[in-house]
Amino acid sequence: MKYYNYRIIAMLLAVVLIAGCDGELDIKPKQSISSGVALGDADAVQAALVGAYDEFTNGDLMNGDFHMHADLLADDGELFWNGSFIGPRQIFNKSILITNGEVSEIWLESYETINRANLVLSALDVVDAGDAGRVEGEAKFIRGVTYFFLVRFFGKDWNDGDPNSNAGVPLITTPTSSIDASAEVSRATVGAVYAQVLSDLTDAANLLPTSNGFFATSHAANGFLSRVYLQQGDFANAITTAGSVISSGAFGLTSNYADAFNSTSNTSEDIFASQVSAQDGANGLNTFYAPPENGGRGDIDITNVHLALYDASDDRLNMFYNDQAGAQRTGKWTDATGNDNVNVLRLAEMYLNRGEAIARTQGLVQGAIDDLNATRVRAGLTMATLGDFASQQELIDEFLLERRRELAFEGFTLGDLKRTQGTLTNSGLAWNADALVFPIPDREMDINPNLVQNPGY
Amino acid sequence: MRKSILSSLLLLLFVSGIVVAQERTISGTVTSIEDGASIPGVNVLVKGTTTGTITDVDGRYRIQVGGEDAVLVFSYIGFESVEIEVGARSTIDVQMAADVTQLSEVVVTGYGTQLKTDLTGNIASVSGEEIQNVPVPSFEQAIQGRTAGVLITNQNGKVGQGIDIRIRGASSVSASNQPLYVIDGVVVTSESQSINAANTNPLADLNFNDIESIEILKDASASAIYGSRAANGVILITTKRGKVGKTKFTVGYQKGFSQPTNKVDWLDRDGYFELFDEAFANSSSDGTINGTVFGLTRAGLYDIFVPGWDDPQNFNTDWQELAFQDGQLDQIDVSASGGTEKTRFFISGQFSEQDGILTKNSFERNAGRINIDHRATDKLSFGLDFSLSRTKNNRLSTDNAFSTTLQAIAQAPVQSPFDPNGPGGLNQNTLYYNFLFHRDQSSFVTRVIRNLTNIYANYEIVNGLTFTTKFGIDLLTQNEEQFFGRNTNTGQGVGGSGTNRWVQVANYTFDNYLTYAKTINDQHDVSVTGGISYQRVRRDQTSVTGQGFPSDLFRQVASAANITAGSSTERDKIFASYFARANYKLNNKYLFGLSGRIDGSSIFGDNERYGFFPSVSAGWIVSEESFLSGLGTLSFLKVRASWGQTGNAFFTGSSAIDPDVPALGLFDGNGAYGGISGTSPSQVPNPDLKWETTSQIDIGIDFGLFEDRITGEIDYYFKDTEDLLLNVNVPGTTGFRTASKNVGNLENKGWEILLNSNNLVGEFSWSTNFNIAFNDNKITNLDGQVLTGGFINEAQEGQPIGVFVGPEYAGVDPANGDALYFLNDGTEGTTNNVNAAEQVVIGSPLPDFIGGFGNNFAYKGIELSVLLQFVYGNDVYNGGGRFQETNGDFFDNNTEYQLNRWQNPGDITDVPQARLFGGNGTAHSSRYLQDGSYMRLKTVVLSYNLPASVLSKIGMESARVYVSGQNLLTWTAYGDDGRAGWDPEVNTDFLAGNIGLGNDFYAAPQARTITFGATLGF
Repeated sequence: MKYYNYRIIAMLLAVVLIAGCDGELDIKPKQSISSGVALGDADAVQAALVGAYDEFTNGDLMNGDFHMHADLLADDGELFWNGSFIGPRQIFNKSILITNGEVSEIWLESYETINRANLVLSALDVVDAGDAGRVEGEAKFIRGVTYFFLVRFFGKDWNDGDPNSNAGVPLITTPTSSIDASAEVSRATVGAVYAQVLSDLTDAANLLPTSNGFFATSHAANGFLSRVYLQQGDFANAITTAGSVISSGAFGLTSNYADAFNSTSNTSEDIFASQVSAQDGANGLNTFYAPPENGGRGDIDITNVHLALYDASDDRLNMFYNDQAGAQRTGKWTDATGNDNVNVLRLAEMYLNRGEAIARTQGLVQGAIDDLNATRVRAGLTMATLGDFASQQELIDEFLLERRRELAFEGFTLGDLKRTQGTLTNSGLAWNADALVFPIPDREMDINPNLVQNPGY
Repeated sequence: MRKSILSSLLLLLFVSGIVVAQERTISGTVTSIEDGASIPGVNVLVKGTTTGTITDVDGRYRIQVGGEDAVLVFSYIGFESVEIEVGARSTIDVQMAADVTQLSEVVVTGYGTQLKTDLTGNIASVSGEEIQNVPVPSFEQAIQGRTAGVLITNQNGKVGQGIDIRIRGASSVSASNQPLYVIDGVVVTSESQSINAANTNPLADLNFNDIESIEILKDASASAIYGSRAANGVILITTKRGKVGKTKFTVGYQKGFSQPTNKVDWLDRDGYFELFDEAFANSSSDGTINGTVFGLTRAGLYDIFVPGWDDPQNFNTDWQELAFQDGQLDQIDVSASGGTEKTRFFISGQFSEQDGILTKNSFERNAGRINIDHRATDKLSFGLDFSLSRTKNNRLSTDNAFSTTLQAIAQAPVQSPFDPNGPGGLNQNTLYYNFLFHRDQSSFVTRVIRNLTNIYANYEIVNGLTFTTKFGIDLLTQNEEQFFGRNTNTGQGVGGSGTNRWVQVANYTFDNYLTYAKTINDQHDVSVTGGISYQRVRRDQTSVTGQGFPSDLFRQVASAANITAGSSTERDKIFASYFARANYKLNNKYLFGLSGRIDGSSIFGDNERYGFFPSVSAGWIVSEESFLSGLGTLSFLKVRASWGQTGNAFFTGSSAIDPDVPALGLFDGNGAYGGISGTSPSQVPNPDLKWETTSQIDIGIDFGLFEDRITGEIDYYFKDTEDLLLNVNVPGTTGFRTASKNVGNLENKGWEILLNSNNLVGEFSWSTNFNIAFNDNKITNLDGQVLTGGFINEAQEGQPIGVFVGPEYAGVDPANGDALYFLNDGTEGTTNNVNAAEQVVIGSPLPDFIGGFGNNFAYKGIELSVLLQFVYGNDVYNGGGRFQETNGDFFDNNTEYQLNRWQNPGDITDVPQARLFGGNGTAHSSRYLQDGSYMRLKTVVLSYNLPASVLSKIGMESARVYVSGQNLLTWTAYGDDGRAGWDPEVNTDFLAGNIGLGNDFYAAPQARTITFGATLGF
């Protein structure tokens, strides 16, 4: 009997040990969090939003290439790429290969930014009601601005033919939770992308507070809106949006032109600037425009063609200098530590956006002259008067010239060339030439059969 | 025999009417036929009953039998069973003969054991005795050449570091290709835990003199019971256990001396000037030595690159000699084993210290083990295996570092290693960083404390049904301390730099299973095993780096002025598994096997949490059939076949910081902006992510000839691996670039032949064993991608993994000394522009066949064993050749072979004209590819066992003295004729990987070691 008991106990033990050992197979990552909880509460969504800024201000995007490549591609002799990198050289030479690494980085990083913004937008329901509007506004600001840069690089200009039939870029407004065939999205039209940009930025302008540290504000959204409207030739809205930033009184031009640059914190005229610090971020413009002694590679020389744009008494001429090797450089990004912010949206641009829009819609009026004088006076030039201009066109031309001086090397060349439908003298390329549009990256064409390549590639 | 049966019958007739069977006692002694020694622990069973006993310490037994017709069965592992009819005797002494037929060996299988004759799968066995005292740090090195189909490659000659093992070829492109290691039934940690690209080897923590046997599970029927981790094969290690009998003590000591297997002839001072003066002249402005190169004169250039070249002391430094040292080995082993019928034990200890052949490279191991088995009742037994070891490895920089020892040979012989102007100091102006600063002013020590503990219990629930439970812990605690003094290249400018990194891997296993075995009517043998296994591995890592030490005497980070880096991470993974196996044998002829495992793992995606890995197998012992019984020569013949599936779960995800959750969508903390922390998505979820699956067919024949004097095995296998895990490009519009997916296929197929022969038996005995294995590896689908590794290795569809791809060198243009390359554009044309030459497959790092050939001789206590090991048909790419064989392209010292350079029109040579900075033939190309085939005299052991007559006088059980040689001779074309290349067994540590194969880059050769030793038994 005793023996029999042992046997039963042993049997039971065997059954229990064999059956009861099915472990918990869900391991939580320790250095990361799973996507499920990454957006699980308000703090997590806020952290993901910061992560979206982080990507948005990547050196391949807002902290460098968004601006630099727009200036390289549409340059007409004002600068010279002498660097060894093949990618930027192709862009500067306006003969881009479909395998160009710069182009594919802009594409990839942009969509990474958009995905991060989409992730935040998908999780607004866990954000406190008081914060939800701001969070939504910031994410939409990031997404809208990114799509604006993307559609200008990869699609025909708004005014080049019918934006509602021209191919823009794939429009992704939901976050990626898994990857299957549905990820092979085709290109939306230029019109559809612009509609998304306007919708995102308008929402952002309505949702965002006027003051938000160095993060996006309603002014930043309005500022970008004015740039978008100007690109589309919607001058009335450009006037309204730029005007709202100017009249808010939140910003003021720095007393010296040089003070507007090379600052580790936002200046009085920065409506939005990318934050760079020793620990985080990099100033990509410093990398390429500044010579080695100022922390860069010295890949871009500034030519006399550009310097000839300035009046001799223009204070902005003092921004240029010869480096130790004797090459002519712009002084806009010269901090050797590379830790200065990247100016993205300055008040000066608002005056120029609004003034030009007024000039185009209302002709020779004092309002336009006043806006022109804002940057002229700061540069130590005499006040312009209505009498200085014989025609509306002369005033418009002066605004365009002033933009080339005031906003030089801040990424305006390509957009301005296209919206003013100009022609590049050196290359003979017209504003709507195929070569002035980026190719869809080769790696993307390879894996997404629904994409159509741009003409000329 | 017949007489005794007859007499028994008669006796029975007489007594049957009077008495019924009477209980009586039989006693006797069991001894060995060979030496007359008593054998304790022999099972004595009355046939057809459950009555049995075991012989005691002196081999004596006492048993009750029922009648004179009773038959006693004496059985003991390693001896042939004996059956004896009792008759009228009351004392029966038995002599047992050692079982020489290897086919009746017992082999260890997953969760059990099996008779080798009954195997339906392919399991290779190596006995612990074969590898006893081999003078290497780790057991894998000791089994090289001893088993068919197992390719073992030391990455280089640094002691204690990485070893590549491929069983029946590589079955993965991205996941691990190393086998699963199981020690005493418990899966152990075998992955490198190194701080740098050079792997460490956690298996070197094991004292392999404790090993009783090693079993390598190669086909699917043998390995499928290990499921999702068995696709690369499984290596089972069984440690020694005590045997019933009086306590035996053994003490062993050995002393060894090591040299590199080969040295390369580098240019001396005269040769250096001869080559470089000529290279200068050929590149100079006026074509003579008086011209200029880049505006600099000959003296001007030497001054810049090799200052001190014109020192009146006329330095002629042999840097290779500075790099090597005389290696040494000191090892002491002590063990005690024995036990009673109730309790048996094995206790051992080892102290081993091995200095490598490179200066400052050493490996030290102190290890202890206790294995205890206790039989509490007839039904219940339990035990403990406990081992604790400590290893200390003085390591060197990776092969790619200027500071690594063997890169010294790049230095110019015309410079002094020491400060030419000050005694005692080191020369800071050498061509490259002078490694002596590292030797003298840095340290890199890895210390490991390793504990393997298993506790088990067996309970026989009913006759034949046994329940086993086993709990095992493998605890690996590793500390890596690096210190680089203020004058070393790492510590320079920051006042010295120190890093301290701790890794702990806690690996728990809990197995519970039932085993049932029954023989029905002497006709049906059934055995069934089934149970569950649970394993959890947690890995914690902490590191800190500091810079700015008060002096080189302060080496711990506590003394650093600045803490410059620090991190702590945790990783975790779990396997929960169900396994089962059934074997059925009919009439001792027909064998059937069935096994399967269901593996659940935290690594796999949500939709693929559990994988099922089945196998089926069958065997037919043809020689048991009556129609073959008359054949005298053929004593054994078995044909067998198996099919099964195994998996590879040794893969990691794209997140470097959380690699053990490859299927999850992840956000990491790398998203800070403007000084505010943020998160960013780092891995896209793939809930369908799963193991790679290998389906394997194995067909084999086992045979024995001349009463099993000759035995052999021939196997053919085909392994088809699908669902290869690859990082594939995904549309960038998703916000991701790549994702881990199961796409891609590859295959391995090959032959294995194993032969054993007892050529001579008797006083002078001679036995031979031979194995050879052919494997063909081919990648059949990579989703159109080409993956790269090594210098010029590629994984591409239609080719074996790791093929070398590059321009094909066509030798030297006799007209002008230009290096030429084949255009390979469909023509036979050549070009001197390497960029114009097509990149083609120029070689393969995988051998066509590998094997070993061993011979053992014995005569009156003298034994000689000789093992040859060979690898044939592979190529080795010497990436360092681009600096070592450059015909004077840059100031790196060149091989003497480079003096064969082209000099005059019409010269026929394969060394192009010497041109300083000319890049004449120095691009990656087949110029630096050499045949890596080799045959080695791997191990030779000559030993003498003192005869029993002498032993008894000095009161010893056994005494053995021996001298052994490891890697005594190597025959190879690699590095032949003075070409650069020390040793063909190489895979430079910093590039070693699944695709990075067969590369050399300043990698140390293997050690040639001669040891003298003695083992004494009391």
